[in-house]
Amino acid sequence: MEEFVGELWHKFITGVAENPCDEKNAVELKDVRRILSIYFRALGGDASLNISGASATYHQARRSFFQKIAGSGKKIELSWCDAEDLRLPNKINYFQDKTLNLDLYFWLTGLATIKVTSSHDWMIKNQLATLALLDRFPGLHNRYRKLVAASLALRKSPNQLPKEEAEVEAAIQQALENPGSVTQVIDYQKPFQPVILWPHPTPPGISQAKSKAKDSEDDKHDESSKSEVVDNKRKHSAERVDAEDKKNGLLLMFRAESIFSWAEFINVNRPHDNEDDLENAKSALEDMDKLSITRKGKLKASRLKFDLDLPPDSGDEFVLKEGILLPEWNWKKQTLVPDHCSLKEICSDSDVKAELPQSLKVIASKLKRQFESLVSLRYWQRNQQDGEEIDIDAWIRLRSDISRNVSSAEEGLYQAHIVKERDLSCLLLADLSISTDAHISNDLKIIDVIRNSLFLFSEALSSTGDKFALYGFSSLKRSLIRFDQLKSFNEKYDAKIKGRISAIKAGYYTRMGAAIRHASSILANQRTSQKLLLILTDGKPNDLDEYEGRYGIEDTRKAILEAKQMGLHPFCVTIDKDAKEYLPHLFGVNGYVLVSKPEELPEKLVHLYALLTH
Amino acid sequence: MEKIFYEPFGNECELFEKAWKNNLPLLIKGPTGCGKTRFVSYMASQLNLPLYTIACHDDLTASDLVGRHLIGAGDTFWSDGPLTKAVREGGICYLDEVVEARKDTTVILHPLADDRRILPIDRIGETLQAPDSFMLVVSYNPGYQNFLKKLKPSTRQRFISITFDFPSTNQEEKILVGETGIDSFTAKQLVSIANAIRSLKDHDLEEVVSTRLLIYSAKLIRDGLDPVIACHSAIVETLTDDVETQIALDEVVQATFGR
Repeated sequence: MEEFVGELWHKFITGVAENPCDEKNAVELKDVRRILSIYFRALGGDASLNISGASATYHQARRSFFQKIAGSGKKIELSWCDAEDLRLPNKINYFQDKTLNLDLYFWLTGLATIKVTSSHDWMIKNQLATLALLDRFPGLHNRYRKLVAASLALRKSPNQLPKEEAEVEAAIQQALENPGSVTQVIDYQKPFQPVILWPHPTPPGISQAKSKAKDSEDDKHDESSKSEVVDNKRKHSAERVDAEDKKNGLLLMFRAESIFSWAEFINVNRPHDNEDDLENAKSALEDMDKLSITRKGKLKASRLKFDLDLPPDSGDEFVLKEGILLPEWNWKKQTLVPDHCSLKEICSDSDVKAELPQSLKVIASKLKRQFESLVSLRYWQRNQQDGEEIDIDAWIRLRSDISRNVSSAEEGLYQAHIVKERDLSCLLLADLSISTDAHISNDLKIIDVIRNSLFLFSEALSSTGDKFALYGFSSLKRSLIRFDQLKSFNEKYDAKIKGRISAIKAGYYTRMGAAIRHASSILANQRTSQKLLLILTDGKPNDLDEYEGRYGIEDTRKAILEAKQMGLHPFCVTIDKDAKEYLPHLFGVNGYVLVSKPEELPEKLVHLYALLTH
Repeated sequence: MEKIFYEPFGNECELFEKAWKNNLPLLIKGPTGCGKTRFVSYMASQLNLPLYTIACHDDLTASDLVGRHLIGAGDTFWSDGPLTKAVREGGICYLDEVVEARKDTTVILHPLADDRRILPIDRIGETLQAPDSFMLVVSYNPGYQNFLKKLKPSTRQRFISITFDFPSTNQEEKILVGETGIDSFTAKQLVSIANAIRSLKDHDLEEVVSTRLLIYSAKLIRDGLDPVIACHSAIVETLTDDVETQIALDEVVQATFGR
């Protein structure tokens, strides 16, 4: 009962305090995210930035009487830009007019494309940015006026405020109405009301990040190579703190019988150990203003190379062929070392059947329809002995030959409507190395994206009738190269194949050369005139032994050249942002494509196939 | 002859002229609507040569290029194809989007494109020797990464090549003003929209706005159409079918022209 009344009261009082506008006028970021990101890039924003939700931050400004009672209105969602994201409010609901709320999104996005370097003062900077944006896109003038008028109406008049606050408020209002007119640096003694038209005055995370610039080179390297953990909707501000060694519970004493490897030991210091109650953790996360992440000490672990036995040879797969010996190119000796690698063709158990995941069904049927038009080429074949219509050209030729007394070769006088089947086979080779186990967002790993890509690719291709095969690969030194057969050319795409696709998991390392050689030999046996070898990867070739850096790249390059000599068309699709550094060397400038947003890979891959082969 | 408007971006006119003087065939690469065809017509008028333009397609046969017998009043006669006409008259033969033509068709260009400069016509048993003033020009758009549609190396290596791209901001403004007579301020605004949209290439759009589309919009605006509507029809709708991308592009247009 108490709880019930409490809930009612909470509902009522927050309603009184926080309901300036109807919910129906609200605009949510998730509905306009894609539009905004295209808009952002078109206006000159950095194409590598994602648009994501901003976490609410405390503004500490004066609140209304009711807000104080309700305990609400302490936080506000403002926008800011950091190294990876443009953060925008998750919802904008300030104005009674939905168009204005939407315009505010566009305005904030536009403002984020302007970089002001001439001043460090927040207010001056924002005015300069406003002027620059309006100058570049004069069409925004009207909308800016409307937004300023509407947002001023929401602000308290300086007359109602104590003197120090009134001064700042007056300056803000003047700067909004007349950007560029406030030129002196204001001393913000008291917290002021947040300005919704401008980005966050002190973006969380950024200031700390700057102070941490002294971090060693190793740290940075480590950071960039780590997979980022991204919440797909909302980002939480994070702060780095130094790990406090004395609180490290496991450093009590060392006993020989409880040997921890170093890597294991280091990771114990994680602050998120008790994850049993996910719901609680989630709500705690939402309430938390800052997440503190320790930074010290984790580094060596990620630089260590150690043998991962993560993906076990589970019992539900059988070996198709073992000990297939393949050569490898040693660039230092400039020789092809014969029988250097041993490859094992593996196929997961055929009993497991699966359906297309529900989340892919809509897009799959759309792609299928689009691909049906690719099925075959229909055209009129001329000079046929038999056909639906007379070939007028041929007939005229014959008549003219006869009347000129020229004997002409016997020619068909009909044209036939020919349906030409696409004469194409495609082998898709997916990298299933350990790096694909990295998260790209909270509930999506790279391997999931690859799985979805394989599904959509198969759906689309099975409607064209093009011959295709799917294989995955990973390696553990030269003696074990796993070559997972997901679908061979001879198999039909059915529930069994879907079962195999849904069962793929990240394996070991990326000995790409051997995998390409084996895939090439399979593809080369196809009797079509065009053969496309599509390689799907997330990084450079590497393995535990000497197969890394230049060695791996040169061997892969050699394997690709061999494939080309066999008359295949190798093409690489990658999500590795550094791909530009080595892929042109491997595949040629036009031989690869970089998909910068891994979550877009499944659709991009299918469209790319259409583009490549139509 | 009506004077053709063309705004050079570099030394392409000189290159064309020198190629023509030295009997070298020319290959022009570039995205659609960046002025390849206009350049060839301009050069033809500058050099005072007749121009035969052939838009290539996958049903184009050799006799479409060379010519065929036709039946007249009780008799037959030979009718020259555009290529033969260009050779006979010593003009310029321009094959637009040459990769669209079937490979067996493009092979008949080979003897014309190397130092022999001959065109054998089997059906009338004639072999034409191209006069010095004849020039072969072909063009294609290398933007598509389609491995089924590529120029055969044997064809490709008979040409000198030049790449066209969209003109620089200033030049594009000049082109819009020169071509449509629109005021320079509107031209500036259109080009700024174009530059914004071009930054989306390969990311959100497969093809970006061409100078030709800008000229279309400029013409509509000059004729009194609201610029936002003109750009929507001539640029946004033309470039994409995706509704969200359209909304974003419309916002870019409105950010320039206002609402």
